[in-house]
Amino acid sequence: MEFRFTKEQEKLRKKIRNFFLKELPEDFGRSGGDMNEQAQAFMRGFQEKTAAAGYLTSGWEKKYGGMGLGHIEQGIVDEEVGYAGIGWPSNLGLHLAAPAVFLFGTEEQKKKFIPALARGEQIWFEAFTEPQAGSDEANQQTRAVQEGDYFVLNGQKTFISGGYKPDFLYTLARTSDSVPKHRGISLFLIPADLPGISYRPLPTIGGGVQNDIFFSDVKVHKEYLLGELNRGFYHAMATFEFERTGTANSGRAKRALEEFVQFCQEEKRNGKPLFADPAVRKSLAEMAIEIEIWRLICWKAVWWFGNRNKLGPMHYDLSGMCAKRFNTSHAERMSEILGALGQIRQGSKWTKLRGAVERRWRAARSLHAGGTIEIYKYAIARRGLSLPRIPAKLNVQIGRALQEQKK
Amino acid sequence: MDYLLDRKQEGLQKKTRTFLEKACPESVVREAREDEDGYSPKLWKKIAKRGWLGLALPEQYGGSGGSLLDLAVLNEEIGRAVCPGPHLSTMLSGLILLDAGNASQKKTLLPQIAAGELIAALALTEPQSAWNGNSVEPAGITVKAVPEGNKYVINGTKLLVYDAHIADAILCVARTKARSKGGDGITLFLVDAKSPGLKCKPLKTTAYDKPCEVVFKKVQVPKSSIVGKVDQGWAPLAKVLQIGAVLTCAQMVGSSQKALELAVDHAKTRMQFDMPIGVHQYVQGHCIDVLWYSETSRWLTYQAAWKLSEGLPAEMEVAMAKAWTNKAHEKACWHAHQVLAGVGYTAQKGAMSLYSMKGLSLQNYLGETDYYLEKIAKEMEKWPAPEQPHGKPLGFWGTPIEEQTPAWEPWRQMREGKKTW
Repeated sequence: MEFRFTKEQEKLRKKIRNFFLKELPEDFGRSGGDMNEQAQAFMRGFQEKTAAAGYLTSGWEKKYGGMGLGHIEQGIVDEEVGYAGIGWPSNLGLHLAAPAVFLFGTEEQKKKFIPALARGEQIWFEAFTEPQAGSDEANQQTRAVQEGDYFVLNGQKTFISGGYKPDFLYTLARTSDSVPKHRGISLFLIPADLPGISYRPLPTIGGGVQNDIFFSDVKVHKEYLLGELNRGFYHAMATFEFERTGTANSGRAKRALEEFVQFCQEEKRNGKPLFADPAVRKSLAEMAIEIEIWRLICWKAVWWFGNRNKLGPMHYDLSGMCAKRFNTSHAERMSEILGALGQIRQGSKWTKLRGAVERRWRAARSLHAGGTIEIYKYAIARRGLSLPRIPAKLNVQIGRALQEQKK
Repeated sequence: MDYLLDRKQEGLQKKTRTFLEKACPESVVREAREDEDGYSPKLWKKIAKRGWLGLALPEQYGGSGGSLLDLAVLNEEIGRAVCPGPHLSTMLSGLILLDAGNASQKKTLLPQIAAGELIAALALTEPQSAWNGNSVEPAGITVKAVPEGNKYVINGTKLLVYDAHIADAILCVARTKARSKGGDGITLFLVDAKSPGLKCKPLKTTAYDKPCEVVFKKVQVPKSSIVGKVDQGWAPLAKVLQIGAVLTCAQMVGSSQKALELAVDHAKTRMQFDMPIGVHQYVQGHCIDVLWYSETSRWLTYQAAWKLSEGLPAEMEVAMAKAWTNKAHEKACWHAHQVLAGVGYTAQKGAMSLYSMKGLSLQNYLGETDYYLEKIAKEMEKWPAPEQPHGKPLGFWGTPIEEQTPAWEPWRQMREGKKTW
């Protein structure tokens, strides 16, 4: 048992941290939202710069533009990215879509799609969710009908994150009706500007940028099919195992707490620093413990993933629960400490912490992205604790009986 | 980073677990609750033979030279079995003697401790210190030891002293100098339990683990009973209190793990409405919460234990482990109780309540939650401001989001009131 990093790993952390401290502007991201042209231009340039320095895809094999670093090292890079307050424009493409290309793409496809992404030059959207397919991801209604060398797509995606002009859409579509629904879905990597694709903005209360995407007779060449026809759902599930940016979240939250502690030392209330208030002290200490738990749980997941050949798959992983429970906890505690003034949005001389706490509170109203906490709990209950479940084959019957109940 | 025990520790865990499953089933735990002394001398002999008491003592004193991390592994198993007996008291007293005792004390007493022939109790807490939340601070010590010729005379009351009524020796934490005179003013005395004027009375508590009221009425002790330096006893003690706090956490980790197994097992087997109750999400939710509280406690505890084991500074880690685990264990047991419902509520049988009741004892021993939270807050006050980036400011992030011109076409269109879909 050991809860520390090697000297080399600490050196790597220092290197990355210093790189970000040097390259980022003093007023980096101090408002949230990177919708505007200037901010986006900066982020794209910075992302490419980071890619050139090797830190964007540190865990990828060298032949694909990575540094071939191990899992702990990747976890450190992610943690520092979060700590610096960075959200890569290509984050979803790099962490969710690229693994699918690596696992299920042909050599042709890897050569075609990966290099530009690895250089940080491309934006890929993860376009899985549909109006009828959220937690029930297999309930895909978007259809891809094969016509010769092409698939013709019709349908709609919704709540798709992304505020940058996309280059590719990593998406699922139904290619067969004749089998259980999760067995008739295929995985695609579609050029985002094909005729028939249109985008509708979906502003969210949390400030995160989401979109509706409409497919209207979109002709997609079969070279954009990833993996096996009708195996797309399983391919997508496999790549979720690779989603290990837990340390980015915990790093980000750690930084937010450090900034908030600083704020509590400087801001006065009733003539004394906030930090002098016993209630504030208690809340801050509890948040510090939560950060430490979060850190330990995320690193367990990173460490286990690196050792999965020896240990097998993780039965349960609490890093998602930590992110949801503790993001909520910290957003609400910090907001509570700010009191009535905590609701003032950025831009006013009365705004506290440049509106960061206000924004985070809004964002934390629902932390469903990537999987609701209920879905996480389902997975823990079933896979982690082997608790009984109603067999899925009874779902349709049960659904019908419940519909009858409504009348 | 490595979250696995090494092979030796795995072996220790497995062997201890197997031993306790046989030697300390629920019936033994219940017998100890009824028993006047509160433990089974037969079980104690077996425990001593297995080397528990000398696990972290050097081989030259009859121990096995194990680490503090090994001790945590052992204590997790003790907690898992709610094993009764003066093991924690004796282990901690042994560690204090190891650190602060003189050569003669170590040579004589440590082998006896390792062999289970000397039961020692740590008399630390006092009525006011327990109430005021400074039971692990020198300011909480008011029991006085006054020099008289070649002796010291101890007067005062200690409260919630575990195992004092069965101990051969009481390690008394006494004040020999007022705090105002500088230094901590604390001296440790290893008092013969049969000393005239020393009375130990076990209290009836929630867990029936019989912590004692220990009254010192003009108890005379020879100078040779002093452990460590006069007026400077707190420093070696403080180190051991850190270890002790983590060991209580380790016991709570083992206990909450068992609570999880009891809850999940019941959820899978209890049938109501023609199905196992574990199919229901509310029941699953409780099980998940037991897992949550036990798993989060586990890693905070083991990180602290590992750090102490490596001789690294660990005050923050210990404080976090104790502050969290104190509350987490209580909640873990509560959730498990909800799953077990009536079955976990009977007083005369059933294991669940043994865990939750013992939890109240463990969570209050060697530092309450609020004490450690304040410790953490004090440390956080020293946190430096996070370093900000050095690059030239670019100036465009300050614009309110609603006033920013979106870069991407559909969003720009929307802002302008147009449609592109």
